[in-house]
Amino acid sequence: MEMDPLEVFEVEMPGEGYGADKYREIIMDILQDLGLIRSIGRLYVYVNIERPYFAVFGMIRGKLPPLKVEEVGDLVAAEGGYQITVEDEEHMAGLIRALWGAYGREKVEQPDRNVLVVLSEESPGGLVVADLETEFRRDLLDALVRIAPEGFRNRRNEMAKDNFFFLAAEETITPEIIAEAKERLGGMRDA
Amino acid sequence: MLDPVMFTGGVYKHDLVTELIEDLGGYLLQKNVTQSEVILLMLVPHEDMPALEAMTKELKGKLERAPLAGTEIAVVTPTLAIHHLPHPACDVAEYIRRHGAKSNMIGMGRGVAREISQMDEFESALINEHDAVVFTFGNFADCILKKEHLYRTLTVPVIVTGGPEMKKEDRPYAFEYVPNVGRIAHRSRKATEIGSLDNIIAAVGRALDSVRASISKDPLTTTPPRAMEVVREQVPDVTQSLSPLPIALNLNGLRIKLPYDEYAEAVAGVEFDEGVTLGEIAKVMPSRMKNYILVRILPVSETGFVV
Repeated sequence: MEMDPLEVFEVEMPGEGYGADKYREIIMDILQDLGLIRSIGRLYVYVNIERPYFAVFGMIRGKLPPLKVEEVGDLVAAEGGYQITVEDEEHMAGLIRALWGAYGREKVEQPDRNVLVVLSEESPGGLVVADLETEFRRDLLDALVRIAPEGFRNRRNEMAKDNFFFLAAEETITPEIIAEAKERLGGMRDA
Repeated sequence: MLDPVMFTGGVYKHDLVTELIEDLGGYLLQKNVTQSEVILLMLVPHEDMPALEAMTKELKGKLERAPLAGTEIAVVTPTLAIHHLPHPACDVAEYIRRHGAKSNMIGMGRGVAREISQMDEFESALINEHDAVVFTFGNFADCILKKEHLYRTLTVPVIVTGGPEMKKEDRPYAFEYVPNVGRIAHRSRKATEIGSLDNIIAAVGRALDSVRASISKDPLTTTPPRAMEVVREQVPDVTQSLSPLPIALNLNGLRIKLPYDEYAEAVAGVEFDEGVTLGEIAKVMPSRMKNYILVRILPVSETGFVV
């Protein structure tokens, strides 16, 4: 499904109008800090402060393909191997680790800070540097744990292919709480 | 009357200021040297302020009133986790520090959640060693109301901060409540956020005034700055302490950052010009903070004289 980044973002907290506004800000701040806004299409947050629990349902925008060596830097054939020039150093560590794993340390040289030379017959272009999808899901869970109020220590997390459901509560999470949270979030989506 | 002020200027010739303060009969509370700049926290006799102002102008420094100087304020967060720190607790602590107080941040061991939060005897005793305490709570009115048991037993004035507006009668155990702080995930930089921090400073100022008023009904045998000066002279090891503030002032005593077991006797034996020792006019006891020494000056009603 095609979605704009965070095209729908709703927060509902019955009886806590101030809290709802503030939590909107907190969620935006944390998603921005972790660079996740572009990957989330819709986000629904429901908090029942009486029981209490904190529930989030989100829809993920498309799947992120794995990052390959040829996308990280400029790859050119050099004498005895291939030379990779990296402009953005964000993935440098992952790139070196991937090359070491595939060719061994003695076959990888770094003559300059942003230049790597691989002594190999075949092109390393197709080698996977980072699995962005796994990284995104890890960051997403980290964000959700940060967003939920700290006292809500019992957590439940359901990650599907294109959506996620997160529930945090102070007391033990029972099937009734899960059902209630899902019903409320479903109601917000249908509204 | 002594005025609390903060001097900010270059390191070059700043000793002229400290000498002037000494000559005027004021006290230097804290000296912070940061590379080429120095920040001096001082108590200066009110009538001699023009002399200090002239000296400041000559040295091209800056002189500001520091209304909270000479006090220790605790800033308490429910835990030390990322949910409560660094924003806004650090903003509050830093802002209090800029107004001259020594602020200590305390993260409770089990302060989280509405139903299971609790404070133990050690934590409340540690907080009670301060002059006032600021509790930073979150954005839910319901939680702020139900967490009252955390500060109900404290003997120092409690300023509660949180998000929503609340009625005064809802929180009888708090000295004051400052709204619009709550939980945020960014630094306080908007005008409204800085305004809320100013409200906290004002509330802390009122809380300290209430403590001062109750002390003035039965004044202390000597003033804490004078006791500090005497300890600094007669227990020179205190100047070797690595703490940024080797002797922290409270409204009713001192916290000396030396190990209790080794130095308690020396501190109690410190003698004033009038011939009495500190041990005779104050209680010298171990502090809950590390193994520091806590000095609590006795009121006139117990000693029967003023030094």
